[in-house]
Amino acid sequence: MISHHLLTLLVFLPSLGALLILAVRKSDALARLVALGFAVAELVLSGYFFTLDTVHTLYPAPAGFFQYENVHWIDFFGIRYTLGMDGISLLMVALTAFITVIGVGVSWQGIKERVPLHFALLLLMESGILGVFLALDLFLFYLFWEVMLIPMFFLIGIWGHGRRIYSAVKFFLYTFLGSLLMLVAIITIFLMHGAQSGTYSFALVDLIGTKVPYDVGLWLFAAFLLAFAIKFPLFPLHTWLPDAHTDAPTAGSVILASLLLKTGAYGLVRFGYPLFPDAARAFTPLIYAAAVFGISYGAWIAFAQKDMKRLVAYSSVSHMGFVALGIAAWSPIALSGAILQMVNHGVTTGALFALVGMLDERTHSREIDTYGGVWGKVPALSFFFLLFCMASAGLPGLNNFVGEFLVLIGTFKVAPLPAGFAFLGMVLTLVYTVRLVQEILFGKERKPLVMHDLSLREGGILAVLAVGAVYLGVSPSPLLELVKGPVALLVGVK
Amino acid sequence: MKLYLAIMLLLPLAGGLTSALAGRLLPRRLLEFLICATVWGGFVCAALAAASYTAPLTVNLAPWITAFDLGAPLSLYLDPLSLSLAVMVTFVCGLIHIYSVFYMAEEGDYPRFFALLNLFVFAMLTLLLAENLPLLYLGWEGVGFCSYLLIGFWYQDKANADAGRKAFITTRIGDTALVIGIAWLFQLFGTFSMVQLNGMAFLIPGGVVTAIGVLFLIGAMGKSAQVPLQVWLPDAMAGPTPVSAMIHAATMVTAGVYLLARMFPFFGGSAVVTSAIAVTGGITAFYGASCAVAQRDLKRVLAFSTISQIGYMMLGVGAGAITAATFHLLVHAFFKALLFLGAGCVITAMHHEQDIFKMGGLRRSLPVTFWCFLAGSACLAGIPLTGGFFSKDSIIGALWLKGVPLYQALYVLALITALLTSFYSFRLVYLVFGGETNAHIHGSRELKVMELVLVPLALLGLCGGVLDLPGYLGGGFLGHFFANLAGGKAAEAPQATEIVLQAIAGALALAGLAAAHVAFSGKARAKRIAEADNPSALTSFLFHAWHFDDLYRLLFIRPYAALSGFLWQRMDEGVIDDSLDRLAQGVGATGTWFGRWTAGRISLYIVSFAAGGAAILGYLAWVTLS
Amino acid sequence: MSIPLEHVIILASLLFAMGLGCTVAWRSNVIMMLIGIEIMLNAVMLVFVGASARWGVADGQLFALLIMALTSAEVSLALAMVVYLHRRKKTVNTDVFDSMKG
Repeated sequence: MISHHLLTLLVFLPSLGALLILAVRKSDALARLVALGFAVAELVLSGYFFTLDTVHTLYPAPAGFFQYENVHWIDFFGIRYTLGMDGISLLMVALTAFITVIGVGVSWQGIKERVPLHFALLLLMESGILGVFLALDLFLFYLFWEVMLIPMFFLIGIWGHGRRIYSAVKFFLYTFLGSLLMLVAIITIFLMHGAQSGTYSFALVDLIGTKVPYDVGLWLFAAFLLAFAIKFPLFPLHTWLPDAHTDAPTAGSVILASLLLKTGAYGLVRFGYPLFPDAARAFTPLIYAAAVFGISYGAWIAFAQKDMKRLVAYSSVSHMGFVALGIAAWSPIALSGAILQMVNHGVTTGALFALVGMLDERTHSREIDTYGGVWGKVPALSFFFLLFCMASAGLPGLNNFVGEFLVLIGTFKVAPLPAGFAFLGMVLTLVYTVRLVQEILFGKERKPLVMHDLSLREGGILAVLAVGAVYLGVSPSPLLELVKGPVALLVGVK
Repeated sequence: MKLYLAIMLLLPLAGGLTSALAGRLLPRRLLEFLICATVWGGFVCAALAAASYTAPLTVNLAPWITAFDLGAPLSLYLDPLSLSLAVMVTFVCGLIHIYSVFYMAEEGDYPRFFALLNLFVFAMLTLLLAENLPLLYLGWEGVGFCSYLLIGFWYQDKANADAGRKAFITTRIGDTALVIGIAWLFQLFGTFSMVQLNGMAFLIPGGVVTAIGVLFLIGAMGKSAQVPLQVWLPDAMAGPTPVSAMIHAATMVTAGVYLLARMFPFFGGSAVVTSAIAVTGGITAFYGASCAVAQRDLKRVLAFSTISQIGYMMLGVGAGAITAATFHLLVHAFFKALLFLGAGCVITAMHHEQDIFKMGGLRRSLPVTFWCFLAGSACLAGIPLTGGFFSKDSIIGALWLKGVPLYQALYVLALITALLTSFYSFRLVYLVFGGETNAHIHGSRELKVMELVLVPLALLGLCGGVLDLPGYLGGGFLGHFFANLAGGKAAEAPQATEIVLQAIAGALALAGLAAAHVAFSGKARAKRIAEADNPSALTSFLFHAWHFDDLYRLLFIRPYAALSGFLWQRMDEGVIDDSLDRLAQGVGATGTWFGRWTAGRISLYIVSFAAGGAAILGYLAWVTLS
Repeated sequence: MSIPLEHVIILASLLFAMGLGCTVAWRSNVIMMLIGIEIMLNAVMLVFVGASARWGVADGQLFALLIMALTSAEVSLALAMVVYLHRRKKTVNTDVFDSMKG
């Protein structure tokens, strides 16, 4: 019985953990342990899905999905509880479970107030994100989309620093505005499909067949695109990101960068393009422009930053530009690369935020000017810092290179001009990365800082991430094989 | 064969990783032995591969990136070009590793140094042996990364770290062009395999071949420090001297030449590309030599000479003389490593003094170094019968034999450069080793061993000519070895022509020696030293390397930084964010303004109610009546 | 003889307008406002009764009775409040009582 509802278990196991934590909220230590236990259990469960190689489902699943659940929910509105997993979802699910464990790890000691609530929110958010990656009913998708928003709002608002309320509200308003427009578009296509076919349904598989007039399609796709582009974030909708990242607690930044940004890209791949292929094609030049400009723009601005976290935040704008570029190209290679790049960016940027958080915990400063000559003091931390900076700069052999390379090669095949400009971003990326390394690790110490090297917990977190970065860089083929089927179905090639 | 190649690559990688991850845990002596052993193990593998080599072959090791029709496996390709370079790289790097162990004897942070040295060898071998372009790019970026960290090895001095950064970024500019070229090739042919690509140039229009060739040339410019991307190399001398020897003389900087030689069959048919390569090489050769004449820092002289010599190699590739270019590459690796290592001995002995005007008289206190350095300088200058003479001459000869005005102009330029080269080589020798001792020499056991490493390099540099003797002396090994390689077969000159050409080059080298003797020996030497503090305008111009750095700072670096701040504060936070904040404030203000209606005064509510009711009634009346 | 509904409605409208006018004109005095409200309610009652007679349905008269009951309750409560408010602030001006403003 349970084997047919593994996806439900996968989505709601973290929520269960959150409830349990709130039930035992008297003890901080217990809350941490429960959170870690559930996060690890979730990771193991998501790992289990890698071993399922055949279609294993009670319900007739659409092509490409090897896990599928489809039950009645609100029949009156044609809303069903539909979850499905294909290679792309699996990759995102695994990333989510992995990063959540990291998120629990990095906030182990940094969070001192309202500890149980913090961990409960982390787990609740994991549920929301997993739901987004698995829902195949648009209403359910929208529901999860909003659910994941709320814990992040509180994470920034309660445990953040600086102008945390401003940032939390900004984050919330931005994403909420986008998602409301998306809701309008969802309902519109729901009604159009119902009028055409006589059966009202929110299911993605049904809605894909809807005949949408071209100009209406443009508006609907624009609404979807706006919601996803804000999450991405694409230039010029990115300004919530630096504020939210800078003021969020470490775990919040890690999850925001590694997971929440991916939901935008995932939504575009899973819903935006398949629902409105014609409109998407019409919008492609715009997405190219935003992506290519964003790559250079984010990198350029990152160079001027004085706050480490802000620098990494702007680097996210730049890196996610590559993902957008790969999606816009909508060719098999570029799309595979974009999906892989989502995972890569999750690992690399998550690690960088974790590292910045660790430095911050030691010195209570995120100003780049405070540091200098850190290598001499904390060689192990510096080693990881360098490693992830180089991964971020796209050094071959590490993870980001593979994704960027595939995106660029794939995009160049169909659109040489945007790809050509995107290549220039590689130089700019290196410029700010090397500046960061230079100012933090090298040179003389600028202020006397007392620092201790990595603790066992921190070393463990970083080592796991480093193994991920190297593995993805050296042997990306298994993952690419995993997404090959779904990508071929999406793009429509053999 | 597969085993040899795999072990050759894996040994340095394993050594580097061990040193990086567990270097602190191992005894120092063991670690030192280990990192030398891995490179020499690599050399043994290379030698064994050379011994059992019969024909070019491709070896598949493992898949790397595979997505749909894109395949970039970890596969290696062995042909005379990659084989000869692999043997040279492992050998020279092996010697330099031994030297480093003693040079860095007092360095506390040795595991990082040795890890990077070993990883560098791994990356360089990957670059050389790669069968496809992405794998080559892996090695290409890998050497760039290692060189970045090695230049800035003494990171506490900001200048060192800045030099490393400069090298990394400058070469990355070239790399970007290279990747665009790779992407373009994949778009056209759907493959990354260099072997396949080399045979397919005829399928596409000449203009495209030219464009791709130029992109590859820009890539090579970055790595091989050719004008206008040469600015990083002189600063790269900030690294420890063995690093300069290994990376910035013998191996990494020749990667660009190797790439162009490797891809020569592809774009060799495009006259524009070959001319562009030759012109780049010619200008760079002259530029480097002219700057070297005016430098005061021992290592900077050698750095500019490296730029200049790689310019010669580029000239060779541009002239279609791949054999000659490779010949010079190999011999240059020997004598330039020798010169740098010799410089390292001098610098150690002089307590890290690098100003050649403050040296002198070292021929007595460091005799081994002196003789070896002299041999290296003779090679660099192209004094007849040294290895450098034959290799450089084969390039200059190839230029003449092209028989085209452009190449003849370059021939003249190359001869002038040869004269300058000879002059600055011996200027260096006279200044460093001539005159009388005026400094205390820091002798040590380490220095003795370091000097010993110079000897085999000196012998190889002097006798390197036998690798590829000219036709009238019985022909050479490389010529036969490369005969089947595309572009490997150089135009065969009549013996008389060849002898005349070599006589001219030899005479010029000797003229340079004579000029240096007049200018820098005996009493003239003291006079030059006295003059050195008041340089003429020309000397100053050359000393500042034609002010390229200032130009770039003015043109690129400052505007970049300024624009970066502008984009951030004016554009991102100014226009985009402020307009949104204003919008939010506007919404808030409107809300507050409407909120004033809810004043709590019942009279106002009643009036509003009455007005609302009247409005509704009025509307209804209007609708009914009209 | 029966009075036409139109006449009843005209009278009721006049009454309502006067009541509203009273409320608006003396809006600073709670007692005058209450009187105005009473007049308006009476106008409404008149319409109910008139309509009830016109169509012969008892519902309207029922409503009129309901309104009477409601009014008496309302007036007693309101006057009590007026007395209480007057005791607190020594005035019956409604604009003084604005502590619930938004």
